[in-house]
Amino acid sequence: MSDLDSSVTDTDEQRGQVPQPETLQQEVLLELRDVRKTYGKNEALKGVSFKAHRGEILALLGDNGAGKSTLVKVMSGVVIPDAESELRWEDKPVKLASRHDAADLGIETIFQDNALVDSMTVARNIFTGRELKNRIGLLRLTEMRQISASIITSITGVKGIDSPDKLVGSLSGGQKQAVAIARAVHFNRTLLILDEPTSALAVRATEALFTYLRTLRERNITSILVTHDLFDAYRVCDRFVVIARGEKVFEATRAETTVDELIEKVSHG
Amino acid sequence: MSSLSEAGLASAEAGSPLMTAAELRRTGRRYRLFQSALFVAVIFAATQVVCIAYGAANSGGFAYLSKSNVTTAFQQVPLVGIATLGVGILMIAGEFDLSIGANAIFTSIVTAQIFNGGTSIWLAALAGLAVGAGIGLLNGILTMTLRIPSFITTLGTLGVWTAATLFVHGSAAETFTPPGAFRALTAGQIGWIPAEALWFIALGIVFWVVLQRTSIGNHMFAAGGNQTAAVASGVNVTKAKLFAFTITGLMAAVSGLLAASRIGSISPGDVTTLPLQAIAAAVIGGVILTGGTGTILGMMIGATLIYWIQDVLLLLAAPGYYLTAFVGALTIVAAWSYAMFRRRMA
Repeated sequence: MSDLDSSVTDTDEQRGQVPQPETLQQEVLLELRDVRKTYGKNEALKGVSFKAHRGEILALLGDNGAGKSTLVKVMSGVVIPDAESELRWEDKPVKLASRHDAADLGIETIFQDNALVDSMTVARNIFTGRELKNRIGLLRLTEMRQISASIITSITGVKGIDSPDKLVGSLSGGQKQAVAIARAVHFNRTLLILDEPTSALAVRATEALFTYLRTLRERNITSILVTHDLFDAYRVCDRFVVIARGEKVFEATRAETTVDELIEKVSHG
Repeated sequence: MSSLSEAGLASAEAGSPLMTAAELRRTGRRYRLFQSALFVAVIFAATQVVCIAYGAANSGGFAYLSKSNVTTAFQQVPLVGIATLGVGILMIAGEFDLSIGANAIFTSIVTAQIFNGGTSIWLAALAGLAVGAGIGLLNGILTMTLRIPSFITTLGTLGVWTAATLFVHGSAAETFTPPGAFRALTAGQIGWIPAEALWFIALGIVFWVVLQRTSIGNHMFAAGGNQTAAVASGVNVTKAKLFAFTITGLMAAVSGLLAASRIGSISPGDVTTLPLQAIAAAVIGGVILTGGTGTILGMMIGATLIYWIQDVLLLLAAPGYYLTAFVGALTIVAAWSYAMFRRRMA
């Protein structure tokens, strides 16, 4: 892909790499039913329902203020939705009252700027909050570095992370996101929520990140891309859910829609 | 995740064999070097070479290598150095403590008063250290609860504890002459090495282990480096910061107690420059004000460098005001050099 236009219009080539929606596994991983969230008199979410299937890349689209951020917070356990809302994980009702609840299920949310600590090494970042310790409580630093080196080499498409001892601050935006994603995958997260993952990335870094997400899809890991970049979303996602004014206004598989239609739905609901 | 077998299994599933220890040593050597205290260690070594050479060439007029000068240095450096260890890890956790001077005076006077009242010196010292740690913890609780910068909180408590010292004791000096074993432990000497230096080295090792080899140390780096990312990674940032505040208060009390034991009396105005000297030493040692970066060795060298620069100026019979000016200039140059170095490495 040499430029953005060709990557958007050259859909046959892309579709060759992407399983057709009809052939996607239909096992539902996360389901939102009538999710509502009211802040005082302001209804941020007015009954949103959609499903995320195992092993798919789902786009959650919408303009600024549409309710995407609130939805992300609900799925991450940061915001508790109103009482009538229902969240289901693998077809069982669940309550997400904290980040820990979400992490216990296998949900990880990766924010663009705040996924990792710049002043720490890749290895320390990967294990922060989940340190490996010996019997007297000291860090097993060598093993942490060994495993981190292994995790780095498992990242497909993103190059240039040559050592677990490299400071994260010296990585590019794409490399940082890749490390954050690889960390989540390593710790058995099965649903990744990526909040505006490409907004600060160059074209090449975006492409590398998408290559990596496609690899993870083959490993049955589900990704939800939360973005307002419809071109990027169309290149990599299997299904699209459009949110406007706190409601779901459109849902379609890749085969059922076009970029122009997505633009129309996001712009005018 | 706490089990390596689980972690290792996940790696094996990813299809990437683990590196051997030798491979791990080879990879990223320059990154580890960059993150070490090499920069300040080289500057320190260079200044020592120059001073020792000059001292050897001018043994009559420049007593740098004299036994009394070296012994005094080993007595004085730890008093700022131990406080620097506390302030340094607090800065790594992204916070400040300007009240350590007031804390050191207040706790040493409390210790002296309890001891002079007839209580065992060990109990009195324990009480003083507990008060010091409590003052640090209180600084942390105020900062975290009120959600205001610790610079402001501790500027406020600096005033409070300075006033508290005058309230409980007045402005006169308090004598402090601890008995045998305690005095030997705090102001004695093993060979020609003063007890303070041994405490400094021992505490430096403990701090290195805590900072580099424990979860709480890792969490302090994360909390200071990027609080939002730390929280998202499951770090209890409040716990990490309260721990750092408490340890800072404790180290201020240790520093105050060692100084009191060495001098034999405590005067309420003695260590008003301690916080600024400790922060300057941490900065010279490579700790950055925004948090998340620093080494224990760097802090120790920073404290030593500050003392030795002043010592050299004294030996050269420079006017007293030169001393503070040089420390100020050195702090600025150090911070600028680190910033340049880091930008280049990045």
